[in-house]
Amino acid sequence: MGYVDDQFSQLHKLQDESSPDFVVEVASLFFDDAEKLINSMARALEQPCVDFKQVDSHVHQLKGSSSSIGALRVKNVCIAFRSFCDAQNREGCMRCLQQVSHEYTMLKSKLQTLFRMEQQILAAGGSVPLE
Amino acid sequence: MAALQRIVQSSGGSGYGSSRAADVAVPDQFPAGLRVLVVDDDITCLRILEQMLRRCLYNVTTCSQAAVALDILRERKGCFDVVLSDVHMPDMDGFKLLEHIGLEMDLPVIMMSADGRVSAVMRGIRHGACDYLIKPIREEELKNIWQHVVRKRWNENKEHENSGSLEETDHHKRGSDEIEYASSVNEGTEGTFKAQRKRISAKEEDDGELESDDPSTTKKPRVVWSVELHQQFVSAVNQLGIDKAVPKRILELMNVPGLTRENVASHLQEINLQKFRLYLKRLNGVSQQGGITNSFCAPIETNVKLGSLGRFDIQALAASGQIPPQTLAALHAELLGRPTGNLVTAVDQPALLQATLQGPKCIPADHGVAFGQQLVKCQSNVPENLPQSIISVDDASTGFGVWASNSLGAVASTSNLGGLNPQNGNMLMDILHQQQQKQQNQQSQQQSTLSETSRSISVQPSCLVVPSRSSASFQAGNSPASVNQSCSFNRGAVIDYSLLSSQSNNSSLNMGQISDGDIKTTGVITGYLAPGSLSPSASSCSVTADNTSSQQVQNSNIAFRAARQVPGLVSNVGDIQGSYGAKSGEVFDLGSLRNHGFMGKGNCIPSRLAVDEFESPMNNLNYGNIYLDNNANKVKEEPNLEFVDNAKVGIPMYQQYAPNDLMSVFTD
Repeated sequence: MGYVDDQFSQLHKLQDESSPDFVVEVASLFFDDAEKLINSMARALEQPCVDFKQVDSHVHQLKGSSSSIGALRVKNVCIAFRSFCDAQNREGCMRCLQQVSHEYTMLKSKLQTLFRMEQQILAAGGSVPLE
Repeated sequence: MAALQRIVQSSGGSGYGSSRAADVAVPDQFPAGLRVLVVDDDITCLRILEQMLRRCLYNVTTCSQAAVALDILRERKGCFDVVLSDVHMPDMDGFKLLEHIGLEMDLPVIMMSADGRVSAVMRGIRHGACDYLIKPIREEELKNIWQHVVRKRWNENKEHENSGSLEETDHHKRGSDEIEYASSVNEGTEGTFKAQRKRISAKEEDDGELESDDPSTTKKPRVVWSVELHQQFVSAVNQLGIDKAVPKRILELMNVPGLTRENVASHLQEINLQKFRLYLKRLNGVSQQGGITNSFCAPIETNVKLGSLGRFDIQALAASGQIPPQTLAALHAELLGRPTGNLVTAVDQPALLQATLQGPKCIPADHGVAFGQQLVKCQSNVPENLPQSIISVDDASTGFGVWASNSLGAVASTSNLGGLNPQNGNMLMDILHQQQQKQQNQQSQQQSTLSETSRSISVQPSCLVVPSRSSASFQAGNSPASVNQSCSFNRGAVIDYSLLSSQSNNSSLNMGQISDGDIKTTGVITGYLAPGSLSPSASSCSVTADNTSSQQVQNSNIAFRAARQVPGLVSNVGDIQGSYGAKSGEVFDLGSLRNHGFMGKGNCIPSRLAVDEFESPMNNLNYGNIYLDNNANKVKEEPNLEFVDNAKVGIPMYQQYAPNDLMSVFTD
């Protein structure tokens, strides 16, 4: 399964002269947001008495933003994560948290590599195909 | 804007281009320039949406907090055409925001969420959202959001056009008048209350019966019922006598230049509604008595041709009985003294409503109210809710049915719409009974109440018409499905908001319908058209309320449409005026209730109606709930009364009374 889905290429389509760095900009927003959310989830799950509603709310949000950016794997983990929250299954939630964190880290690193390469291409005078 | 106007006009209307169009600063390449406000706590998503909307050539404003969004909307009223809001937000629930917007600004609101479950989408519809988009949102979806703006405008235009038509149906004209009237009344009393139809009310009122002008293009000055004007009105009414106090005569007696018959009619109607509300309040406090003695409350406009409008035939009601001055006074007092702010609280207390509905006599509030805000709340033994119940006339399209916008919507969501319920009949009878009793205590208040300036009344669109006799089939269209109901009323007493006093000495409220001569019922505001408004009287009528698209859920839309189509209730007794007469088979276009149920507020009431600041129709789709107090008074019911509860859609909820309760109404 790819790290990003079609939604990601949709983002590229949104990039134009008025917002030439749109994709990078959105990805950065996503990274900030996701890191905050993952930290919040971790804190909530560490509590002696876990507030699953709170955790679920964070997961829901991460799901939303990851689907907006096309982060497919992160989103899928979020889906599973939510059912553990509903079931108030702390173990399951912890596992999902780890998975989410892992997927996110991978995604971030790959995207950053991608962006770097794109910048290099552009700097070298080339162009990056949007498709 | 020219483009929008052209589009609107090309729809077939006779020049819809209204002043409303001016609200939209759209250049000629419509829909470019559509002014969108996006609210989402997810920054990533917000940025993406912003970019997408920009590429659609829309004018985008983003906001990550609902409270801030509301401030923006309030500060820059008229600067936005449509709002996109996420459902899950930390500081405020998206539906609550939806309700507020519907109530205060009457803008189309589109909800967004990653949650694409049917139940979630349904919830959005019930709260009065124009649309519900599932994330991730594609650019193509956003390209089409302009349709919601146009649709809403067109429907509003249609209301005006209808009201301005040359047909004899008074209610059309009255509709627009009342909208304006209601707006003016409301604004006079409630600062935070925004007339649902404020844009419509920007139309100028034609002078009297002139229909030739395109109502949507002429600017009509709003009629503000000042104390002096109201005094003139009251003295005219007193001069004529309750029985003869028809708008036309009142107008003549008042001799106020520039005042139209419609103005008078709608004012009279509002007074009636207020009185009814007062009556209901009184009912709450009056101990039950054995039978209903003569006068029922609720003065009604005797010759109001509501029937022709498709609403209840007030004439019928009036004809069936007199409106005792005490009732009128009581209603006036009630009306004038009651702040509409109550509606807000009502709306904010869906739980309370729920609780009130728990009684055995209440209709369970879990009806799937598909529509937004217009719901009638039934309250049992909740005195404080009484004032709120009635109708908020913030934009009464018809004398009777004013769809409270959003606020009512909220309320509506918690209440279920009782279609034809035998219980309803009981309840209404009960109310009438109570009111009558209260009336009798109100005589001295007549003068004092009349001098009060009117307050805004919120009229709930709910409109439940109980056929006066025989069987009537009521069809209410629900967004999910049509609901067919047949109800048979033997004594035909209670009708959706319309209570008719069958006795010649009984006063009847607006649309009341009395099947038998010896039935005394007070007219209930028939103007309310809930998604399923029925008003079959003597014969079987089938009313089809169809909930059209969820977009139609807008309170105002519904109100107008419904109002137009509700036939007047005609009493079986023979007093019923012909207009309503045999309107069997009348089709009601209930439209979808907005209203939120509660716009963002409660459960399912369309926004719009109650113009009160909810959060509340808000339908509420908004809108507008009618609170019926069913405590204490027992209304005897004909044993063979049956009503089918059809409320799935914005049908006002009636409290259910034991079958034998209704009978007490009929006894003297």
